[in-house]
Amino acid sequence: MKFSISKEAFLTALQQVQHVVSTRTTLPILSNVLIKAGNGQLQFVTTDLDVGISGTVAAEVEEAGATTLPARKLVSIIRELPADEVEVTVDERNVAHIRSGPSFFKVMGLAADEFPPLPTFSEAREFKLEQRVLKDCLRKTSYAISTDETRYVLNGILCSFKENMLTMVATDGRRLAMVEQELEFPQSNEVDIIIPTKAVNEVQRLLEDEGEVTLKVGSGQIAFDLGDFFLASKLIEGNYPNYRQVIPGEARERIALDREPLLRTLGRTSLLLSDKSNSVKLHLTKDNLEVVANAPDVGEARESVAINYKGAEMTIAFNPEFFMAPLRNLVSDEVYLHLIDEISPGVLRSGTNFLYVLMPMRVNS
Amino acid sequence: MHVDMDAFFASIEQRDHPEFQGKPVIVGSPPDQRGVVCAASYEARAFKVHSAMPSRTAGKLCPQGIFVRPRMHVYRAESAKIMQVLQLFSACIEQVSVDEAYLDVSPSFQDYDDQDTALEAAEAMAREIKARIKQEVQLTATVGLGSNKFLAKLGSGFQKPDGLTLIRERDKIAFLRPLPVGAIHGVGPVTAKELNERGFMTVGDLQETTIPLNDILGSWSATLKQRALGTDDRPVDPTDERKSISSENTFLNDTDDRPTLRTALKELALDVAQTLEKEGVGALTIQVKVRYSDFTTLTRQLRVDDPLTQTDEIYRLACHLLARHQLVKSPLRLIGIGVSTLVPPVRTQLRLPL
Repeated sequence: MKFSISKEAFLTALQQVQHVVSTRTTLPILSNVLIKAGNGQLQFVTTDLDVGISGTVAAEVEEAGATTLPARKLVSIIRELPADEVEVTVDERNVAHIRSGPSFFKVMGLAADEFPPLPTFSEAREFKLEQRVLKDCLRKTSYAISTDETRYVLNGILCSFKENMLTMVATDGRRLAMVEQELEFPQSNEVDIIIPTKAVNEVQRLLEDEGEVTLKVGSGQIAFDLGDFFLASKLIEGNYPNYRQVIPGEARERIALDREPLLRTLGRTSLLLSDKSNSVKLHLTKDNLEVVANAPDVGEARESVAINYKGAEMTIAFNPEFFMAPLRNLVSDEVYLHLIDEISPGVLRSGTNFLYVLMPMRVNS
Repeated sequence: MHVDMDAFFASIEQRDHPEFQGKPVIVGSPPDQRGVVCAASYEARAFKVHSAMPSRTAGKLCPQGIFVRPRMHVYRAESAKIMQVLQLFSACIEQVSVDEAYLDVSPSFQDYDDQDTALEAAEAMAREIKARIKQEVQLTATVGLGSNKFLAKLGSGFQKPDGLTLIRERDKIAFLRPLPVGAIHGVGPVTAKELNERGFMTVGDLQETTIPLNDILGSWSATLKQRALGTDDRPVDPTDERKSISSENTFLNDTDDRPTLRTALKELALDVAQTLEKEGVGALTIQVKVRYSDFTTLTRQLRVDDPLTQTDEIYRLACHLLARHQLVKSPLRLIGIGVSTLVPPVRTQLRLPL
């Protein structure tokens, strides 16, 4: 196998696939990237057996072939190469010779036929949507995914395809993010799946603002086909809890808030928090919202925000990190906070399709 | 300073039954019944009988052994007398169990210029403690002296029975060097084996290594390295607050039957939850313990964000730990649930009813 390619194109493509390579693996070949050369292009494949990614990039292929090389090592070598062009030859013992300007590297690889193939998706339900849309939906929900591995069904995003609507939900039991997106598909395609965190993170890295993505949902697995890149992942098996039941049906108070200023207010006041005291209090009085943070051994911060509020005086406390996460990931100028009382969930809404349920913290004074 | 009573239960039995003196006394279940050895006299230990061994095995190793049923109330009363003696010497005592305690005696030796002369001065106190214990309860104790808890405990384990070992600061590295890695408190047979497989046989090997041990030991590797160098910053903790709560069950017959194990776990979870409630605390750490037919014992634990108080939550996490670490790979003799990191049972962050 022999090819030459620009250093930049080589590096970019490798970096897109390298994140799934695990550092600690019992199977040495999983530390490697599969490289196939042929038809004027290179294909790179990596997998950890749960998530696999393949990507293609144009290259000058002199001699077709395939091999696998240690992924992280290869990335660091290519990144440091002195010249703009790279020439790679791989001999029959899977030893790669990498030349760039004055430098030469010899890297030991492993045979390509040992590399586990990515799953195939012949009889899959297919959904087409714009990459921009999927990226936006993932961004608005993924931060709420649970990291508590003892409730593994929550370690991913629920994607419910029902009645021409894609509903995506993520929760860690303390807050829940939900986004709804209209999408046309035949009724026979209706399905509920849970995409694991790792696949969510990886696909977010690959999605662009242009172009389409095809989702292929097979039995226990999903693929994202983006053209140049292809990501396949196992799905989380199990039943997602009934999230509808925790969304409050009505609200007593509806408060319009400016998203960015509110985010900054919360960020500033939470500077005063400590490990022991991690809640900010929202004190609502007529046309005023006061955000208060205090920690016994640290100090106190207060900030007032002018709002339109005619409801009953109320103090409700939230974990500021949980409050700020959706604000950071939304784009609208205005958000709406719906409240019932101090111990009922608050609901943050933006536009018509985003909703975030946030459980309060107990106020201790 | 670490004070450790010598073969405590067995020595009490020998004291109270002069005819047992000089004979192998085994406190625990009779050898023809299912159960374990609680304690063995030094004469019995010569036959390789040790505590936690099945009585049946002990009976085979030492057929002439005198098996005695434990009299816990007697041992506890003797323990209380011993602790009263210790209180004459230090106000800061951490009783670890019925027969051992740490004493922080440093306030009495503040005026010495360096730690080693202070430790040497404390040696006289240690001798007096041993004498007073002997006078009060006619039992012998072994004392270890060192600049911290780890070294003191190591010292008391060094020359038993009726011993006294002083580990000076200037000698500690050399003292530790030839010891097997298993001599470090916290390095059990499993960890010791893993360390041995990687070429760490002695504490000296650990002292010298620059290889990070995180892969084998996780977060504990930093502590291990410290111990190997003879440092330990844990204070002697005189509060007698409970630090953990546990419940375990030995099966009549070893079993890997899932419904039986589930039923047992549920009962243990209930037991632990009830104790938590009685003590008015919640727990941030949960641990499961399993013992196989060959007496290999494993524990696995995890930490949670919100204090555990509820039976179903404890049960769910215990099941998770068993499954996650594939602990039920052969029949179990014993199963247990323990909780620790006890904190006020308040959940400040409310949860969605999912």
